[in-house]
Amino acid sequence: MATIREKGYYHWDGRLEERRFPWWPITRTGIQLAFKKKWFKFVFALGYAPAIVTLVLIYISERLEDFKSMFGGRDQLIAVNPKFFMNFLTNGGLIFVIVMVLVFAGAGLIADDLKHNSLQVYFARPLRKRDYLLGKMAVIFFFVLLLTLVPAVVLYIFKLIFAGSFRFVADYPWLLLSIAAFSAVLTVFFAFYTLLLSALSKNSRYVMIIVFTVYLFSQILYGIINSIRGLRGPGTALVSIYENLLQVAAFLFGQKPPHAVNPGWSFLILAAVCAASAVVLNKKIRGVEVIR
Amino acid sequence: MSAVIEAKNLSKWYGNVLGLSDVSLAIESGITGLLGPNGAGKSTFMKLVTGQMKPNIGSVTINGERVWNHFRLFARLGFCPEPDAFYEDISGWEFLTGLLRLQGFGRAEAAERAARALGIVELAADKDRKIRGYSRGMRQRVKFAQAIAHDPDVIILDEPFSGLDPLGKRRLIRLIKDYEGAGKTILVSSHVLPEIEAVTSRIVMIHQGKILAQGDIHMVRDLIESHPHMVSVRSPQARALAAALVDDASVLKMTFGADGRSLVVETPNRDGVFGRLQSVIVAKGLEVEEITSPDDNLQAVFDYLVGK
Repeated sequence: MATIREKGYYHWDGRLEERRFPWWPITRTGIQLAFKKKWFKFVFALGYAPAIVTLVLIYISERLEDFKSMFGGRDQLIAVNPKFFMNFLTNGGLIFVIVMVLVFAGAGLIADDLKHNSLQVYFARPLRKRDYLLGKMAVIFFFVLLLTLVPAVVLYIFKLIFAGSFRFVADYPWLLLSIAAFSAVLTVFFAFYTLLLSALSKNSRYVMIIVFTVYLFSQILYGIINSIRGLRGPGTALVSIYENLLQVAAFLFGQKPPHAVNPGWSFLILAAVCAASAVVLNKKIRGVEVIR
Repeated sequence: MSAVIEAKNLSKWYGNVLGLSDVSLAIESGITGLLGPNGAGKSTFMKLVTGQMKPNIGSVTINGERVWNHFRLFARLGFCPEPDAFYEDISGWEFLTGLLRLQGFGRAEAAERAARALGIVELAADKDRKIRGYSRGMRQRVKFAQAIAHDPDVIILDEPFSGLDPLGKRRLIRLIKDYEGAGKTILVSSHVLPEIEAVTSRIVMIHQGKILAQGDIHMVRDLIESHPHMVSVRSPQARALAAALVDDASVLKMTFGADGRSLVVETPNRDGVFGRLQSVIVAKGLEVEEITSPDDNLQAVFDYLVGK
């Protein structure tokens, strides 16, 4: 005869609702862990230095009368236009700080989970692979957008405040869209770039070095190729992450690209990195490590 | 009683390596022990049951619902993996509340459940300590806590006793047994018979990816008793030792190793032979390098069942 077991436990009375954003706990934890890291707050704060400088420049451009004596009586010192905002978002210092933020906040996102075998515990819960990846990506989105889109929009608003009119909006109706589009490109690219490298190793320190080195090396490689007479040409810019971002930015802000190459190639290269990342992430992110 | 976990013609292989082969199994409510030597396919089976791997052939269902890709079903499942699966720099409390948030509970509910689970595994006092500072037993208990914190109907415990000292084992056995009365379905794996025996009398024996036997643990015990034990002795005076043992009625067979220094004794009464060996060694002043019982484990039973 079968044993009759007493069901002596009681379920929680409330409804276990399916979360709208199941990835959110992962994102929140990622953000919290980043702020716990030594030096991170300093590096992140450093990311606002270009925004502060740009804000001062906007102020000066609008209050030129007050500063005329300082600048030799010139009528127009700084032109605040789409190029000005593009220069802010593609500023080498800002991109460098973003890479440093990725080094601190992004390198361990997947590497640490692989190191600590956490994936099997995560995926034994009502969490899909896409929720997990979205949660991790959202950490990068959060930091990169806070350093790009948010200050750019704030600068735009300040420009309107300092100008005291909406003429700037009428002059450049697509500017906000350009800012949003380039911030999105930057964010999505860096999210895929960081997660790709983070998924390749269990050692987050190693990933930190790789995230920084790959970015820097692409720029150095561009410099080396460009210095060799036979190889020099506009197409060499395509080996550099930064130069590709500049090309895309120029296209989105309606400016002349810095290199005489179709910006479509740069779009394609950045998209290829994202696609490669998606393939690797799909293979590497699984609850159990399959050893063949 | 209807089966809670049901596997039908389940097969899983990793490249050329067979993990599980045509396993059909029905597991009812209560505690079931999954018993098998290392590499038998226990973990593979558990990972298939917890939906972490897709079977190559066959299916696994829990309460009639297919597990693979059915992520909502995982809300009713608790899984305690064999290796440690936590960040060392977070506290037990953070570990549990974080996972409960992933489970879908709100902040207050997660905190309440984490406190309850940590209380059950007697870690309430150490909840704020970093996991790095936890002993092996505490780590196993916090892993168990995360498996029960959301009050799942099905609990899968992969080698939960591995690396525990006897006290830790006893403590965890008690915790698992407490859950049996709560109407849960618990699947515990181990390669050590006494561990499984301590928590349940219902076992599934798995070997080389195949289910060898399913039923009461006493069947295994009987097999062990009826199957001759082997006692291996390494001694430079192996033949003298054999001569002293040859008249013992409990000795069925004796074999010498090629080097002449090892002697393998087959007996149904292992303890009797150990006693006799002891007295012969002392009485004759023989030099002995090693005494082992090579089949004093499940492997012998498995070999016996597969007809080796």
